[in-house]
Amino acid sequence: MKIGAPRERYEGEARVALTPESAGHIQKLGHECLIESGAGQLAGFSDEAYEQAGVTVVADAAALFDQADIVIKVREPDDEEAGRLREGQTLISFFWPAQNEEMLERCRGQGASVIAMDMVPRISRAQKMDALSSTANIAGYRAVIEAGNQFGRFFTGQVTAAGKVPPAKVLVIGAGVAGLAAIGTATSLGAVVRAFDVRPEVAEQIESMGAEFLFLDFEDSQDGSESGGYASPSSPEFREKQLELFRAQAPDIDIVITTALIPGRPAPKLWLEDMVAAMKPGSVVVDLAAEKGGNCDATVPNERVVTDNGVIVVGYTDFPSRMATQSSLLYSTNVRHMLTDLTPEKDGQVVHNMEDDVIRGATVTHQGEITFPPPPPKVKAIAAAKPKPKEKEPTPEEKKAAEHAAFVKQTKSQVSMLAIGGVLMLLLGQVAPASFMQHFIVFVLSCFVGFQVIWNVSHSLHTPLMAVTNAISGIIILGAVLQVGSGNWLVALLAGISVLIASINIVGGFLVTRRMLAMFQKS
Amino acid sequence: MLGHQFVTAAAIAASVLFILSLGGLSNQEKAKRAVWYGIVGMALAVVFTMFGPGIGQYWLMIPMMLIGAAIGTVVAKKVEMTEMPQLVAALHSFVGLAAVFVGWNAEMERARVMAMRAAGESLDGLSAFAATLAHKTPAELTFLQVEVVLGVFIGAVTFTGSVIAFGKLAGKMDGKPKQYPGGHWLNAGAAALSLVLAIAYLNGAGFWTLLLIAVLAFFIGWHLIMGIGGADMPVVVSMLNSYSGWAAAAIGFTLSNDLLIVTGALVGSSGAILSYIMCKAMNRKFVNVILGGFGGTSGPAAEIEGEQVAIDAGGVASALNDADSVVIVPGYGMAVAQAQNAVSELVRKLRSSGKNIRFGIHPVAGRLPGHMNVLLAEAKVPYDIVLEMDEINDDLASTDVVIVIGSNDIVNPAAQEDPNSPIAGMPVLRVWEAKQVFVCKRGQGTGYSGIENPLFFKDNTRMFYGDARQSIDALLPLLD
Repeated sequence: MKIGAPRERYEGEARVALTPESAGHIQKLGHECLIESGAGQLAGFSDEAYEQAGVTVVADAAALFDQADIVIKVREPDDEEAGRLREGQTLISFFWPAQNEEMLERCRGQGASVIAMDMVPRISRAQKMDALSSTANIAGYRAVIEAGNQFGRFFTGQVTAAGKVPPAKVLVIGAGVAGLAAIGTATSLGAVVRAFDVRPEVAEQIESMGAEFLFLDFEDSQDGSESGGYASPSSPEFREKQLELFRAQAPDIDIVITTALIPGRPAPKLWLEDMVAAMKPGSVVVDLAAEKGGNCDATVPNERVVTDNGVIVVGYTDFPSRMATQSSLLYSTNVRHMLTDLTPEKDGQVVHNMEDDVIRGATVTHQGEITFPPPPPKVKAIAAAKPKPKEKEPTPEEKKAAEHAAFVKQTKSQVSMLAIGGVLMLLLGQVAPASFMQHFIVFVLSCFVGFQVIWNVSHSLHTPLMAVTNAISGIIILGAVLQVGSGNWLVALLAGISVLIASINIVGGFLVTRRMLAMFQKS
Repeated sequence: MLGHQFVTAAAIAASVLFILSLGGLSNQEKAKRAVWYGIVGMALAVVFTMFGPGIGQYWLMIPMMLIGAAIGTVVAKKVEMTEMPQLVAALHSFVGLAAVFVGWNAEMERARVMAMRAAGESLDGLSAFAATLAHKTPAELTFLQVEVVLGVFIGAVTFTGSVIAFGKLAGKMDGKPKQYPGGHWLNAGAAALSLVLAIAYLNGAGFWTLLLIAVLAFFIGWHLIMGIGGADMPVVVSMLNSYSGWAAAAIGFTLSNDLLIVTGALVGSSGAILSYIMCKAMNRKFVNVILGGFGGTSGPAAEIEGEQVAIDAGGVASALNDADSVVIVPGYGMAVAQAQNAVSELVRKLRSSGKNIRFGIHPVAGRLPGHMNVLLAEAKVPYDIVLEMDEINDDLASTDVVIVIGSNDIVNPAAQEDPNSPIAGMPVLRVWEAKQVFVCKRGQGTGYSGIENPLFFKDNTRMFYGDARQSIDALLPLLD
């Protein structure tokens, strides 16, 4: 099959869906790769680089759409591109089918299959093709860099000869992939980072990235697992509490990065006019939700605005495109993984398997029919968070009582064991001769000493312990030595053999123990 | 010739030295001294007994000792550290066999003395053990017979059991559990028959009963250990260790020798404790291990979702380069692949770049208690970075990278998460809590126990397929 990547037409879009690296992998699947001339230019991949990777460079988009069996793109197609699609052709790109019904209908009309990279279900197996996550990751990183660019101070706190610099305080709202990436970047730059999310189960992830989780104690918290790991709209009471929390933070915070999105809805307004007003002059708000209307009241999509009190609000929507090389590398790898799943035999034959959860979920039109929205996947995205049962702290009295009960129980069992043992000894003493009982005392005491001593042996020395006990169990040689002087030739012979093998044991056991112990070294 | 008082004094000294020797194994530095206590104790005991009263036939005894010592030296020098389990098993079998021989001898001597007594001959001319026997009362002689039976029986079970364990550990025999139809009923039958024979022997049935008891015990030892699989060998070897001690103690009673009794009891209790520790580490009952097979499950095992994602050496290397803390969890697979030196080199390299590298050792990793520690020590891994499961388990959550080399069940999350798993409740190393886990494994598929391991399907787990040594060797040049 021929896989072709056209140049992106969208204004300001620098990314490309095919890189020389991903082309190499795709060719290994048995496919042939095409690229429109100049498609990789803005992302830093020249036509020559593609040619070296064995990609055929095609002069213009029309020719490319004509030749390719599968067209891979970054942005959803525009009218012209949609018009070029033909029956049996497959398009792989971001598509946003819920917002783009018209375009969806159009592509169906053209008879092409469309695989929307934004519809890849969120299950473990599909992580490698989760383009939303890789894009969000870049956006989160870039948002911090952008904020740093606008912010007039250091991120990290310093004490210099020229005075003390306090660390920047960063608030990240929404701890999805972008939020976590932003937290990671901001903490590694040295800022003090706080983060908030409506899903309490992400607290652990936030803390693992080095930020402080702003905890909102509210009974009716959301369970993110119900909605495939995404947030859903919250109740008005919850929203009120949440805004209160933000309002308290606003005067203290230098940089706010908002990433709150709810799938298929306009972005929730979380950073209101009064909060912006409460911020110090020179503070920065980066709104990653600008494309969906913005989380901040002051956001103007695609613009950087400065409010009356000197707060800079950044509403750019093209963060991934601003890092076109990195974005293209990651996105093309996601697409490449999708193609790998579409080519199960690695023989260049595409099998559009609608039984497969991932392929089914991402396919929005197929064989002239609209297949969106997909049925819920068979596998749940993340396991439901188990409610943590609160362990009751026992009162001191209860503790005491429990300890006492355990003590009594232990005493009882020990006393009864001793009693049984004593009775057995008494019975044995009735029949056994006195000399036997003497030896028996020695035996019992030795067992006790053995038990006391062996418990202290370090775990790592168990093998040497076995070797030593092996060697000293060669003490059986004494028995043979005592018997070897017998007048009976058979007894002497058997005793002789016993002496021989017991000697092997003694010498072998001790030597090997010494060898082992000599190897143990301190660093 | 040395008098009785010398022999007794030597026996006391030797007992004390043996106890110090075992007690000294509480840490690595003391242990080096402790082994000398054992050697001196043994030398005292043997020399003083040899030259004690009533011993003769030095022309036979001393050459035998020298030959034995020579063989022992050669074996101890040549053995590879990975072969320790089979060496230990082989040495156990010797003790067992010696116990059987000494027991038979005791019976033959007893019969001779009894015959002489019955014939009214003078008993003054007897030497060595026979002379001791001549002074015994009839009641003492009856007890002696009981002790002989016990010594021979335990010795014989130890002998064949150890031979089989040796065969399985050395790979000369199939490691899978195998039994005759009838299973443990055969063992029970043989044991019951031995009891009948023992009663006959006590009533004067003659030497043949003792021979038969030994044969039956040989069968039990053989059949019992044949029915136990490879991964349960740590328990088996400790158990046989214990048996060899009890056999020595029983012989000590027979010969009225306190030193044998003391030493036998020490070894016996040591082995018993080791078996107990091993069983606890697998959350299984001792009887369950010995009688073979895993405990019954109460329902179907939980379904595992996801897929095993493979990774190549480059990916592992870059993760290691980025990591600050690394924990390595070795298992029997490391021993099989002889990868300990490669692992040691890996550790050296990572440590030299300032990373925190530690080992997490599960009590039953390998085929012998403490097997992994010895292998790592041989490869010159410092022992203070080799930690036990309990010491490291809580640190795993803050660890960047865990590398699992050739272990499977001891890192299986099902033991804690799935109550229906055959290994439910077994304490395991919680490696899945670490940020990233690499599993170095020969291929897909379940390990010895046949239990699916959900760890391999976790999101933060990557499978690093291939022979452990080759994989690690491939990794080395890729590290900074």
